[in-house]
Amino acid sequence: MSSITYGKHLFARSRKIQRQQTRVAYLFLLPALLFFFGFVVFPMGMGIYTSFFNYTMRDFDFVGFANYAELFRDATFGRSVVNTMIIAVASVPLVMLFSLWVATVIYQKPVMSRSFYRGVFYLPVVMGSVPVVVVWKWIFNRYYGILNWVTQTLGITQANINWLGDARYAIWCILAILFTTSIGQPIVLYVASLGNVDASQIEASEVDGASKWQTFRHVKWPSLLPTTLYVAVITTINSFQCFALIQLLTSGGPNGSTSTVMYYLYDTAFRIYRYGYANAMGVVLAIIIAAFSAFQFRVMRTDD
Amino acid sequence: MQKSMTREQRNMRSPYMIIMTVLLILVSLFFIFPFYWIITGSFKSTAELNIIPPHWFPMEPTTMHYERLFVEPSFQWLLNSFIMSLISMILVCIVASMAGYVLAKKRFPGRVAIFSLLVAAMALPRQAILIPLVRIMNTLGLHDSLWAVILPSIGWPFGLFLMKQFAEGIPGEMIEAARIDGAGEVNTFLRIVMPMLKPAFGALAIFTFIIVWNDYMMQLVMLASRAKLSIALGIATLQAEFGTNYGLIMAGATMGSVPIVLIFVLFQKYFTQGIALGAVKG
Amino acid sequence: MFGQKDANDPAGTYEKTLVEAFMAKYPDIKVNLETIDFTNGPEKLIAAIEGGNAPDVLFDAPGRIVEYGKNGKLVSLNDMFTDELKADIGNEGLIAACGDDENYWMYPISSSPFFMVINKEVFEEADALQYVNLEGDRTWTTENFVKALEALNKAGKLTGSVYCMNQGGDQGTRALINNLYGGKMANAELTKYTVDSPENRQALELVKKLIDDKVLEFGPEINAGGEIELFQSKTLSMSICWGTSAAKNFPTEFTQVWLPFPSNDGTPELEYLINGFCVFDNKDDARAKAAKLFVQFLCDSEEVGKANVLATGAFPVRQSFGNLYEGNADYELLTAFTKYYGPYYNTMNGFANMRVQWWTMLQAYLSGEKTLDDALATFQAEANKDL
Repeated sequence: MSSITYGKHLFARSRKIQRQQTRVAYLFLLPALLFFFGFVVFPMGMGIYTSFFNYTMRDFDFVGFANYAELFRDATFGRSVVNTMIIAVASVPLVMLFSLWVATVIYQKPVMSRSFYRGVFYLPVVMGSVPVVVVWKWIFNRYYGILNWVTQTLGITQANINWLGDARYAIWCILAILFTTSIGQPIVLYVASLGNVDASQIEASEVDGASKWQTFRHVKWPSLLPTTLYVAVITTINSFQCFALIQLLTSGGPNGSTSTVMYYLYDTAFRIYRYGYANAMGVVLAIIIAAFSAFQFRVMRTDD
Repeated sequence: MQKSMTREQRNMRSPYMIIMTVLLILVSLFFIFPFYWIITGSFKSTAELNIIPPHWFPMEPTTMHYERLFVEPSFQWLLNSFIMSLISMILVCIVASMAGYVLAKKRFPGRVAIFSLLVAAMALPRQAILIPLVRIMNTLGLHDSLWAVILPSIGWPFGLFLMKQFAEGIPGEMIEAARIDGAGEVNTFLRIVMPMLKPAFGALAIFTFIIVWNDYMMQLVMLASRAKLSIALGIATLQAEFGTNYGLIMAGATMGSVPIVLIFVLFQKYFTQGIALGAVKG
Repeated sequence: MFGQKDANDPAGTYEKTLVEAFMAKYPDIKVNLETIDFTNGPEKLIAAIEGGNAPDVLFDAPGRIVEYGKNGKLVSLNDMFTDELKADIGNEGLIAACGDDENYWMYPISSSPFFMVINKEVFEEADALQYVNLEGDRTWTTENFVKALEALNKAGKLTGSVYCMNQGGDQGTRALINNLYGGKMANAELTKYTVDSPENRQALELVKKLIDDKVLEFGPEINAGGEIELFQSKTLSMSICWGTSAAKNFPTEFTQVWLPFPSNDGTPELEYLINGFCVFDNKDDARAKAAKLFVQFLCDSEEVGKANVLATGAFPVRQSFGNLYEGNADYELLTAFTKYYGPYYNTMNGFANMRVQWWTMLQAYLSGEKTLDDALATFQAEANKDL
């Protein structure tokens, strides 16, 4: 409504003022557009363009879709995609359930303790991936890591386990760390949206004799749905972009069991110097993530 | 109101809540532990670091690892991280508030197209443009300079969304009133719009600061020489060079994480607001 | 700009004095010093080269330098390789390592063997020192090596580790495996990688068996850096990636015994490092000329050259520099090791790719994910793909 009245208002003005307004608007936008085109749009275009080239330190030859065709045959890329999927598929429900649980427990608590807990679960994000990864690397160390001591003391394992050097465990170690760095934001979101649930509805439901679960299922859950979808999407995207963890912890090993698309892209570009091929990977990654995001926008819009 | 208070109090004391709170405290310890382990580890002697069973607390605290750390240009690394985060923060706030304001409050040709493009770009993974960005920075002669990390962080349209979101809440009458009073566009922006955006500035500032501080990947590909490293990259470098010298690495990690955690604690309010705001429209 | 990848001297103070000395001598040339970190050095440098921001002079090893040269990023140093220099070096393999068929890309200054090291006290304690030859050049046999490992294992000590997280220090694992039964990395013409040979197979099978018997550690989560740390902290009783710079940077509380790699006939072939400089082609002849002058200043002058060799903790490539380590028993042993230098395959085509294939192969076979046949077949196919 307001935009229509505003439009009429605008229409009533003289052309000159309108032109001046447009100029002002673009002047205000100029810095943002400059940065946006210079450091987002242009490199994106460049990435797409060079993905059609055999582009290395020495060569720059047009090869059409050859890089993309190679991606489909590249076993390491396939493995990286699978690993990326495993990480995403495993972490989404885990992150969702856990953060929802924490949020339901803390949202009724006094302000002080609520922000304390929020801070605690945000700690691994704030600390930054490098300090987090280096300390976990120590915790996982097969000779002096505290984890082997804990599991042996509890009688779960007998001998020292090479957590990061064994393909059976390495990806779960990555997943565990990724989990600790993915929880903070969802908890804040859930706490915020739990606060938005209409209290009178909850009471009405309780008065009707509904159990805790029924109240949750029928009253709270529907209003948490948009947040849940959002959490699912950001967690998926975070999983797809998992890089520092891999680079600092395992270099993608053992046997490629922890290589992800993002890590493989980096490795291809900066260790084997195949920029064109790496850019093709970047484009594929962008398409996958864009598809997820589009899905999110769509779902959220129909939900409104 | 009275009734709802009692309901909450009742809830808080129920056995269910007590069990859950205990569980929550246990889980919290798990999240705090790495941070604790970093700080205490940095004060343990090398012998104590490798002891099994581990010491939960340094029995003979030593500063030897810090002495070794300070041989490296570690304060410079810390300073570099601060500079990058601070400059990015200021620039993002300025650039995003200007753009967010006009996108929210002005009607002009091309507005929808620009906005759609920004929306589309938000969905792209930043890492997909990593290699071209390195190339661009090289061409600009900015490789291995702090600007190579700062500039791309400003291009990202997240802040712009936040600002637009917030600017939409500014009553149009206020802007009209300023105009009628004869204030120019710039004056209106500085005197009327900017103060109204204050909460958004808080959120965006702390957000940008932490994101740039922790943007390891961009730092990794852009910074090279030893004196130009960020603190995160410095720690990663130490880990690569001194593998399992955990004392030294934990000293570095302490230096890298304690300042940012303090900043977070001081500005947590804005941070939480930022996330909640960002969530409304992604 | 003078880049160097060895960042052991954090502040680069020594390099700074060199640069100052040079600028004092040639006041019209300005040199900027930049220290690039070790691990990400090559990647950073690639980024710089790619953007045309390469340094003028870089201190590195032939492997990467020749690769840059083949890719057209360097200035040919043919004019610097005078007969005088070649005669002074007097080692064909070493000279050949500095370039490809047409051009010399690296101006060598020093070389240094890679070898292994043991913790003497631990070996004594485990009664394993009896298998180690402490006489002469200290060469020893595969049989005694295995016996020593078993003795250590029996005494409850961790022995050594076949690390293979990535290419970091991979020459150590290659030297170990090649030497056990006299296998080779490449054919004599250095045109093809030949890891799939009966000798190497036998060696890999032995290593696998030792790992399965828990007599040797398998380290897919560490590289040489990690292995050296574990040795220094007495977790491991030996390191297979020892060298003069490791000895300098990782002092130990125990007695080190430096050894060549064990071999079945007792004659090892050692891998070695050559240090030298290359000059990047920044499309400016004057700059290239100044850069060459700087390189010569660093390598050739009696005083600065010798000091630089000593600073790298290595052995001069120029015989005329003589024995710089008179009276240092350890270094005299290493001088003896130089006669065991094997063929230098680090400048072969596809070397960077081969290194990736090497640790991939080790991980796949030693973890039991692939059979020896499969792992070697993949290695041979992939490593020789572009040759």
